[in-house]
Formats: sequence, C-alpha cells, structure tokens
Amino acid sequence: MWSTFIVSLKSNLRNKSALFWLIVFPIALSTMFNGVFGGLDKAMSITPVPVAVVQDTNWTNAVGADTLITALSGSQNDSGQASGSSQSDSQNDDKSDSNADTVIGDINIGVRLLDVTKVDSTAQARDLLTQGKTDGIIAADGDGRIALTLGSDTVATANNGTQDVGLDVSLAALDNVIDQYNRTSATVKTALKDNPTAALTRTFWNGIGSATNGTKEITLTNFKPDVMARYYYALMGMACLLAMSYMIHTVTTAQANLSALGIRRTVAPLGRAKQLLAGFLAGWLCSCVCLLVALAYIRYVCGIKVGGREPLAVLAVLVASFMTCSFGTMIGAIPKLTDGVKQSISTAIACGLSLFSGLYGGFAMELSDLISRKAPLLAAINPTQQVTNLFYSLMYYDSTQPFIRTCVILLAMSAVFLTAGVIMLRRQRYEHL
Amino acid sequence: MTDNNQTPAVHVSQLVKRYGDMVALDYFDLDVNQGEIFGLLGPNGSGKTTAINCILALLTYDAGTIRVFGQPMTPTSYALKRRIGIVPQNVAVFNELTVTENIDYFCSLYVPKKADRAPLVEEAIDFAGLQDFRKFRPGKLSGGLLRRLNIACGIAHKPDLIFFDEPTVAVDPQSRNAILEGIQKLNQAGATVIYTSHYMEEVEQICDRILIMDHGRHLALGTADELKSMIDTGERITIETFDLTDDALTAVRALPFVIEATYDGHELAVRCRRGDHNLVDLIGVLRGAGANIGHLTSRPPSLNDVFLELTGKALRD
Repeated sequence: MWSTFIVSLKSNLRNKSALFWLIVFPIALSTMFNGVFGGLDKAMSITPVPVAVVQDTNWTNAVGADTLITALSGSQNDSGQASGSSQSDSQNDDKSDSNADTVIGDINIGVRLLDVTKVDSTAQARDLLTQGKTDGIIAADGDGRIALTLGSDTVATANNGTQDVGLDVSLAALDNVIDQYNRTSATVKTALKDNPTAALTRTFWNGIGSATNGTKEITLTNFKPDVMARYYYALMGMACLLAMSYMIHTVTTAQANLSALGIRRTVAPLGRAKQLLAGFLAGWLCSCVCLLVALAYIRYVCGIKVGGREPLAVLAVLVASFMTCSFGTMIGAIPKLTDGVKQSISTAIACGLSLFSGLYGGFAMELSDLISRKAPLLAAINPTQQVTNLFYSLMYYDSTQPFIRTCVILLAMSAVFLTAGVIMLRRQRYEHL
Repeated sequence: MTDNNQTPAVHVSQLVKRYGDMVALDYFDLDVNQGEIFGLLGPNGSGKTTAINCILALLTYDAGTIRVFGQPMTPTSYALKRRIGIVPQNVAVFNELTVTENIDYFCSLYVPKKADRAPLVEEAIDFAGLQDFRKFRPGKLSGGLLRRLNIACGIAHKPDLIFFDEPTVAVDPQSRNAILEGIQKLNQAGATVIYTSHYMEEVEQICDRILIMDHGRHLALGTADELKSMIDTGERITIETFDLTDDALTAVRALPFVIEATYDGHELAVRCRRGDHNLVDLIGVLRGAGANIGHLTSRPPSLNDVFLELTGKALRD
C-alpha cells in the first residue's frame, strides 16, 4: 500500500496538466485579478491632495477656516503641535489605512484630505500651482467663504481614470467638505445676526455641530470588507474542484473495467480497497499542496487577507481538498466512460459551478448572492460556493461558527460522494470489461 | 501451495459466459498443464480474452468451474494471484513513471520488501533489454520498447503462470523475436505460459499445445502437427507456367486430390487434399497438356490453413 501511495504521489506530481490547472492557472488568474482589481481598489481610496492655502486678510477673517484646514490636513494647529503622521489602529493593519485615518489628540478626525502648503498671497499660490508643487489653491473671499481652485492639469488628471487613481475621489470629498463648511458658516452668521445671544447657549452649538450629514465608516465585521477578495475565494473554489482530476485518474487506473492498467492492478494480490485508499491519500495530499501554493500566492503576493486566521485557512484547504477528492472518486467510478471523458466532465463541472459562486464578474457575483438569498439549498449543495464560503467566513465573521458550519457541509458532501463512489466501485468482478 | 506437477495450471470446465443474448463462452473447456506454453487461437470475438478474464476472476460468468493450480480462483485469491503474471494486450503502465519505477511498482504489488524486489527488477530489465532506458518514461519509448516494458512489468515477480495476450502486436521483427525468445526462456525457467495471438507462425514456433476456439467453443486442441493432421488440406503447390490452356486447367481441376486450382496467366496455384503423389500426378497432367513448367514450389499445410479451415474465411469484427 505504501508503494502504491508513493507511486500515486509521483504520478500526480508529474502530471503536468494537473499541475497547470491546480497551480499555474490559479496563480495566473489571481495575478490577472490583482492587476485589474488592484487598480480598482486604489481608485476608491482617498489620498491627500497637495494645496496651497492663501493666508491673507480674508483668510484671517474667515472664522474656523484655519481649524478646518488643520483638521483636513491632519496637523493639529499652527503652534507646531501638528501630528502630520498618522496613527493606525493598533489591533490590525486592515482596520485602518495609515495614510487616511488621522487622530488629533483624542479626536479621530477621519480621513486626511489635504497636504497643505501655507502661503501669504494668491500670487505665491499660483506660482506653486504653476510649478506643479500643488494641485490647487484654497483661499477665502471677503464674506469668509472658502473656495478650492484646481489647476487645469489637475482637472485633466482627475478626469482621466488611468492616471493618479483616487484623485477624483479625494477631490470630490474635499469639495463636499468645503461646501459643508461654507453652508454651516453661512448658517451660523445668519443665526447670530438674527439672535446674537444664541451663541451663549450650548444648544445652539450642539445643533450646529450635529448639522453635518457626513458618513462615518465603522467596522462591524472581523475584518475590513474587501469586495474583491470574494473573486479570489471563488477562484480557490474553482481550483479546488479542478483537483478532482487526481482522483478521477487514480480510480480509472485502478479499475479493470476502465483501463488496461486497472486490469493489471486488479489481478495483483493487493486489495483494491487498499490501492484506492493509497491513491486517495496521495490525491488528497497533492490537492492540498497545490491549493496551499495557490492560497499562499493569493495571500502573500496578491495581499488578499483571510481574516488573520491563516491556520484556519490551511484547515479550510484540507477540508476543501478532501471534498474534491471524494467528488473525484465518485466521477472516476462512473462506469463505461473513459478517463478523458471524465476529466472533461470534471472541468465542465468546475467551470459551470464557478459561475454560481461568482467567479466570472459582477453578474456572477450577483447571481451567487441571489441564489444564496432565494435558494439557499442550491447554494449549500454547490461545492464551489461552499469552498468560497469557507474563506469568506474566515474573513468576515467574528465567530468561527459559520466556518465550522461550512466545514460540516463540505464533509457531509464528501460522505455522499464517497458513498456513491464506493457503491459503484464495490463490485469485485464485472459483467463486461 | 499443495499442487504438484500433475495438477493442471489452469482447469476450465463447461464455462458459460453470456452478454445478454450473445453467448461469449459456450460450455468452454480448457486444461493447461504446468510447464507448457499453451497457445490460445481464435478470430476476433471468438472468446479468447473473455476466457482469460474469467480465469483471472475479472469477469463474472454464468456457469462452469475454474481452477488455477487446483484452487478455485476468486477476486480475493491473493495467494493464487501472487503466482500469476499478466501481460495485457494494451500496454498497461504509468506514463508518469520511468521504466525502472514502473517495473518496481508492479513488482512491489507481489513482492513488498524492497530488498527482495531490487534483484527481480534488475533481472526483468535485463530480460526485456531495457538497460539503456531505465530513466525513460513510456512516452519516450518506441512501440517495441513499450511492449517489452509491458512484458517486464508482468513478469518481474517471477510468476508461475503468465498470461500473454497478443504481446507482439505492432512490434518490429527484431523485438518480436526477442519477445518470443524471452517467453521460451521464462518457460524453460519453469513458468507456465498461456499465449494468445493472431500470428500463427509465432504460435507454431513457441507453443507446445494449441487450442483453436471460435464462437466461444473449443474447436481443436493439440500440437501444431496434430492440428495440421486434423484438416483435409494437404500441400499447396504453385507452378510458374505461361502457356496453360483452359483445357489443361480443367484437367488439373478434375484431379481427385485438387480442392481448388487458380491460374492468373503466369502462375498456377493448387490447393490439394492429403495424398502421397499429388505433385507427381499434377506434373504429369501439365506435361500431358504440353505446358512448360518454370519455377515450382510445394508447401505443406500451415497452422494458418488449419485455422482458416476450422474457423472459416468469413470476415470478423
């Protein structure tokens, strides 16, 4: 049995086609995902915009303008106590972006939007803009309203999605904040003009403070959600099912009714159960190794997280590959079909089921979600969906319950596949060869 | 094992195997003595491979008994299986393994200890003439080398009974000769061989006894000479002659020992019944008709003649 295990192992590891589909294919596809989605991710990120702030008389008269700029740039105040460097959440590096989340004193002011250069006049600000040292100018008018003026190059860059990704998002956010400041400032002035004593009440200032209608990002899940991660998980699901090829080959070459090699092995004085068990263990080991290589690439090269639960991710690979070996055993045991036909069937199954686990883009992802909501049983019996869920549950849920539940579903599937396979394989002699 | 040399290596009695309405083996009998090379001949679909698969307990059968070395053969007769080697018709090796690894693996199924196995593997490599191809994978081997590897994988564990199912299909004459000599060496070393082939000259060359079967039935059994004596066909005479008249041809055909006579303008071919003076009588008729005789050959009946006479000339699948 040991020699059968070793031979199966060698045979699997030298099977170039299987190695391609199990290692090269997921690595190539995840590299492609990384190229496509990596840019998308950056496009949605906010980066500080370099601006020149004109600190002239108008600016001095604009109440609160300095405070606003200080907050947006992450510097504390003019006295030099500014904390330009950011302090990230200490719990993990995924919950916050060190470039974006800024803390001043005890107050987390959120995302850093500005990289400020203070100047005394509009002329100096224009010079900086012309030299390309800044992207825009912030200045106040006589009424205390502040305005952001962008250079033509900056506008062109922001409109061109392929350059300086994320600039357009940063500018939109900045525009929104400045507009909010101007409206609040105007409201305060009008209110104080009508009722000068209002400034003495806490209620007034509380009302002004609560007037902001911005959106605050909070994290409810184990990790910061990464929409793109699901594609990589779905890719793992597909690669996992492609590993069926190992067991299909193993079963086919052990069955007298399926191959000449099977005849030779069946005539040998080693029980078929032992031969199949050795082949199964070798197939399982090879599948695990291949999937772990793919997972390591996705995790450490593409930077797709698994919720900081790498050991559980390894367990996920063990469970997923056990399921796929069981599935392969069942497909391999189907009588009267050649190895080639069964391999084609397994590829078709892997590709087909991957559609419903969301591998093929936004439409497929929506379809996957729809099935999970409307027909959870269908999602539950889709092996690729369940393998995807394994990694998904590690990433998103605080509790390990969803992960364990998915493991149980996959093991139950394995039991069904193995039972069906054994029923087909149990015959010791055949009517036909 | 408790068998002695009198116990047949294989005993098959009244074996019946049906595929639906089709009868593949029709009360088939077979006895193969220990130490002999036994030829199993038959056209395609005659039941040879079915019989072998039943003997090897690969196929179920409807009736009859099968014993190997006196023991009933079942799928779990591992002690018996240890004494059996098989060289299937299709090359049955792992394409991902080298020549040495393939032989070692199949030998390991019979001889688990590596130390015991190593010399057997070397011997099998030498036997098959694969010394220069140890590290080659099957995909890199020629057809003849592949066949030799197929044989080495089947005989490395030194079985007492070896089944060769058409082992020389698609190999060159040199490889074929090497294979046949190898089979004879195995036999001389004590192995019983059951050999199936379509090549009559091979069977005639190496087999001690031959069984001809068709439609799942036993048609004839004996040595090559015994089989030849069983048929009506005697010698085949071919005579080079360019001036044979129709009357002369009619006279030839009228001879009592002539089964068939054909003339294509330059050669007269005559198939004769058994007789002591066929050639003399035929030449006498031709001389009487004034025909000039050039080159002349007389060939005694071959196993092929026996085969065709017993199984007919109708094409098979």
